[in-house]
Amino acid sequence: MPEDAVQVKVFRYNPDTDKEPHYETYKVPYTQGMVVLDVLNYISEHYDGSLAYRWACRAGQCGSCAMIINGKPRAACRTLVEKGKPLTITPLVQFPVVKDLVVDYERGTRRLVKIKPYVQRLKSPSRPEIISKEDIVDVKEIRGCIECWACVSACPVVGEAWQEFAGPLIHRQLARLKLDKRDTEERVKTAFIEGLYDCTTCKTCVEVCPKKIDIPGKAIEKMRAIAVKEGLGPLEGQKPFIEAIERTGRSVERQSTPLLEQVPDVIDVDDPIDEVAFFTGCLVDYRLQSTGFNALEVLKRNRIKVHIPKAQSSCASPAFRSGVVDLAHQQVKKNVDALEKLGITKVISLCAGCAMTMKNDFPAVTKKIYNREPNYKVYDFTEYLVREVGIDKLNIKDLGEIKMKVTYHDPCHLNRGQGIHDEPRQLIKLIPGITFIEMEEADRCCGSGGGVRTGRRPLSMALARRKAEFIIKSGADAVITECPFCLIQIRDILNQLGYQHIQVYNVPDLMAMAYNKTK
Amino acid sequence: MTYETIDTDVLVIGAGGAGARAAIEAANHNVMVTLLSKELLGKAHTCMAEGGVNATFANVDPPDNWEVHFKDTIEGGAWINNQKLVEILTREACDRIMDLEEYGAIFDRTPEGKIMQRPFGKQTYRRTCYAADRTGHEMMVTLTEEIRRRDVDVMEEVFVTNLLAKDNQVQGAVGISFKTGSLLVFKAKATILASGGGGRVYKITSNAAQDTGDGYAVAYHAGCRLLDMEMVQFHPTGMVFPESHRGCLVTEGVRGEGGLLKNIKGERFMQRYDAKRMELAGRDVVARANATEILEGRGTEHGGVYLDVTHLPPHIIEERLPTMLEQFLDVGVDIRKEPMEVAPTAHHLMGGVEINENAETTLKGMYAAGEIAGGVHGGNRLGGNALADTQVFGKRAGENAAMFAKKSSMPIIDRSQVEKEANKISTILERKEGIRPHEIKNRLQTLMWDKVGIFRTGQELQEAVQAIEEMKAKDLPRLFVMDKHTRYNKELIETFEIENMLTIAEMIAKAALMREESRGAHFRKDFPKTDNKNWFANIYIQKKMGQMTLTKLPVVVTTLKPEGA
Ligand SMILES: Cc1cc2nc3c(=O)[nH]c(=O)nc-3n(C[C@H](O)[C@H](O)[C@H](O)COP(=O)(O)OP(=O)(O)OC[C@H]3O[C@@H](n4cnc5c(N)ncnc54)[C@H](O)[C@@H]3O)c2cc1C
Ligand code: SF4
Ligand code: SF4
Repeated sequence: MPEDAVQVKVFRYNPDTDKEPHYETYKVPYTQGMVVLDVLNYISEHYDGSLAYRWACRAGQCGSCAMIINGKPRAACRTLVEKGKPLTITPLVQFPVVKDLVVDYERGTRRLVKIKPYVQRLKSPSRPEIISKEDIVDVKEIRGCIECWACVSACPVVGEAWQEFAGPLIHRQLARLKLDKRDTEERVKTAFIEGLYDCTTCKTCVEVCPKKIDIPGKAIEKMRAIAVKEGLGPLEGQKPFIEAIERTGRSVERQSTPLLEQVPDVIDVDDPIDEVAFFTGCLVDYRLQSTGFNALEVLKRNRIKVHIPKAQSSCASPAFRSGVVDLAHQQVKKNVDALEKLGITKVISLCAGCAMTMKNDFPAVTKKIYNREPNYKVYDFTEYLVREVGIDKLNIKDLGEIKMKVTYHDPCHLNRGQGIHDEPRQLIKLIPGITFIEMEEADRCCGSGGGVRTGRRPLSMALARRKAEFIIKSGADAVITECPFCLIQIRDILNQLGYQHIQVYNVPDLMAMAYNKTK
Repeated sequence: MTYETIDTDVLVIGAGGAGARAAIEAANHNVMVTLLSKELLGKAHTCMAEGGVNATFANVDPPDNWEVHFKDTIEGGAWINNQKLVEILTREACDRIMDLEEYGAIFDRTPEGKIMQRPFGKQTYRRTCYAADRTGHEMMVTLTEEIRRRDVDVMEEVFVTNLLAKDNQVQGAVGISFKTGSLLVFKAKATILASGGGGRVYKITSNAAQDTGDGYAVAYHAGCRLLDMEMVQFHPTGMVFPESHRGCLVTEGVRGEGGLLKNIKGERFMQRYDAKRMELAGRDVVARANATEILEGRGTEHGGVYLDVTHLPPHIIEERLPTMLEQFLDVGVDIRKEPMEVAPTAHHLMGGVEINENAETTLKGMYAAGEIAGGVHGGNRLGGNALADTQVFGKRAGENAAMFAKKSSMPIIDRSQVEKEANKISTILERKEGIRPHEIKNRLQTLMWDKVGIFRTGQELQEAVQAIEEMKAKDLPRLFVMDKHTRYNKELIETFEIENMLTIAEMIAKAALMREESRGAHFRKDFPKTDNKNWFANIYIQKKMGQMTLTKLPVVVTTLKPEGA
């Protein structure tokens, strides 16, 4: 066997004959361009013809070969094998195993068929039927589904509560039908009953979808917007937050002096290397003022001049995520006007939710109102430091030692929402004395997003509990994240479970702590 | 071996475009319908079609009509199509596309909200309707939605091993359930065969794994007559690596956007084959050019030629060829920076089970539609006609089968045929050593590629026929599987597939040997010219007294005839 053989661990199980599942390990010679399907074919031909797996088109078009590859559901025919990197292949979860990597989708299709997954017309159309181009745009975006069930297997909410939440594939189909003008069924009501407000918008489904279908964005949030119009949404628990934004421009009620009332409009530094605007977001302004101060401290230590526009207001993420579109649009205008007035081209936020909303949702709205995108660029705090300032240009010498074992939780709206995964880890690792432990499933949703924490508390806490298990198992003294929502959620669940001694910080908290050692 | 017997009115074998459409139509006639497929519902080969489906809506080119489409199809088919069938295809395609839209399909639109149509090879007007580059998928998803609305008994992952036939009448089929491995017997008043193509008999093919051509073999053994089996379409550009992707289609669009074909020396070799049209010459010309370069040693390391778009600006590639960009990125090739490697790939079987205008086969109670049926496409199929074929003849098959079922009583099946299948399974499971099915499969696929491929000669075809006969006699009785349990035993299913593949291979090779001329997709190096005087005809194949017999018969002509015929 050549040296660059791939080591493959495969789940094996025949319920008819095996007491329990087990793993077999095979060595498969590496060839250029090899995909996981090649590996399976090789095993079947050269080692064991009894290995069961499905495949058909081998071109990512039929959805037969979804399986869990190194922890993530993937299409085997579209997953490139990396030379020298071992592979672990297991069947999709949520479905009973027929044999080895073959599962029975009956559970899923039964559920799917219940929603009447077809266009229901009241009368036959004219032939030919005139359908305007504009009318099909929204449907086409979510039409490419190849029913591979990868999303359902990966969705954390399905994992916790499939009975209540029909899952991404089915919500996509409901949206596909609702957005199709020819259909006459009550799709939104069905979606509501099937858990429309259970989705945390964590985008795990998008990440694993071989067709990259943006189910939370193009299906769930669109359906929520219609639900709001039809008076079904938002949920009771979400209403106070929405009303608060309407009333005060903040999604939470004032408890102590807000950050914005404690800081000047501009924080100048000697010989600045850059100039940015700081967007606090609701939680940093009203609840986690210390995190705000810490972020400002870190920026100061790196000689960055900061503007803090006082006219800023909620990014309206709760409104966007729960479908309250009009309010969301008002907030966009308020914020864009306040930020553009400064004439600063870089805006940073340490809230994953705010930064994602400003990056992904704002431009579409300003295109509608101003016919252009905002004239500044939005950065997450860690992204800004690592990519804009440059990790080698950061003030490292003033970072004091912190003796602590830490792990990191990826906020969904930072990792999948903005593609920022390495930067926070890089910053954490800069701090002397820190032992970094990667927890299992660091990118698993904590359950706070999408209005689930406010609207569906028990489900949200169930998701958080799952997250907490991994944090606890990691043995870390502290868990670091980069999102106030995640922070509060994780802190709550650790308290609830009696693990208050595990600290929860945002990246700037930890960095400021290190800088403060060298005052 | 015990087995379960399932009674139904109409049994549909195959859930691709044709089978699904047939099942819907049959269900419309208020009969019980059972739909079987090798794979899960919605995943049939039809979902891979990208380009589009032909119908003369004349939405963008007003002069188009069915008669022009008829003529294009027959000229494209090198004149040996059954003209009665072509007339039906071209007259009814529009209606069938409108059916799909009624079910919920979404084809791309013109500014006026009509179905958009694009140009396709060898067609006078723009008549190919499409849904981006996923037309087959759009059709398959729609049909799946519609099947789920209907009362159709869908039985996924059932492999049909044989048809039950007696006295020239089909009474149902025998199958194996993948999930449990148990034998299933289907008793049906009418049976529709919609089992798709058989590209998998070739080493390099664009077809899905399931396209082993079982239908051709089971129909043949049941006594059906088949025709045009020598007509195999090769697409000029398929992927060459990795192994699992070998043959995967690289769309004509790549050359349409300016992709250049080069050999290992960097030479634009099309200069030597068709200096005028270069890369955009006809499919068969380009396929033969690519094959020649490779055969004569000017191919790449992986046995292909280069298809290069690196001279195009990256954004053009990203905008216009997104699927191809992705398809190659998946296997680690960035086509913006490096050339693709491509080679011809077996794409479509024009031949198949003989049907009449009602999609009836030569056996009573048996219907066929889609790629499995022969006669519609003659010696070469136009792009976009296959999908239309599935809908037009799928509907006809469903309708006529339902009507036949309504006036028939439940047949009494011959249980001895079931016993035979059961014995075959146990013999194979019990055999302790021998040849594993994939070994024979690989050998046959290579043989077909080398000797019954793009270029054919009498000598090589002879050799192929002989080799096939030897494999049948020597290898089949030694088939052996590692897995001795019945649950999801892929290898066991493969033993049936390989037996079928040998039957089709024999049909293709023998018909190719008999046709001593070149026509359409069939190219004989020893008879490079088209011979309308002797070969304006179809070759029919039927099992008679256990023997494969080939007969040359006149083409069914209604209006058009080639020169010299
Ligand atoms: C890559 C590619 C692109 C194409 N693009 C186009 C295009 O743009 N336009 C066009 O018109 N044509 C195109 N074609 C051709 C077209 O897709 C096919 O001819 C057509 O889809 C065949 O449909 P079908 O219903 O006959 O068979 P299929 O879709 O192949 O379905 C066959 C069914 O039969 C079942 N079956 C087979 N054997 C058995 C068995 N033993 N037991 C039980 N079930 C069985 C299978 O499981 C499957 O469900 C393309 C083909 C390929 C390969
Ligand atoms: S966004 Fe997350 S919670 Fe919502 S459907 Fe997708 S995976 Fe599930
Ligand atoms: S939405 Fe994507 S991941 Fe989910 S089933 Fe469809 S194709 Fe698969």
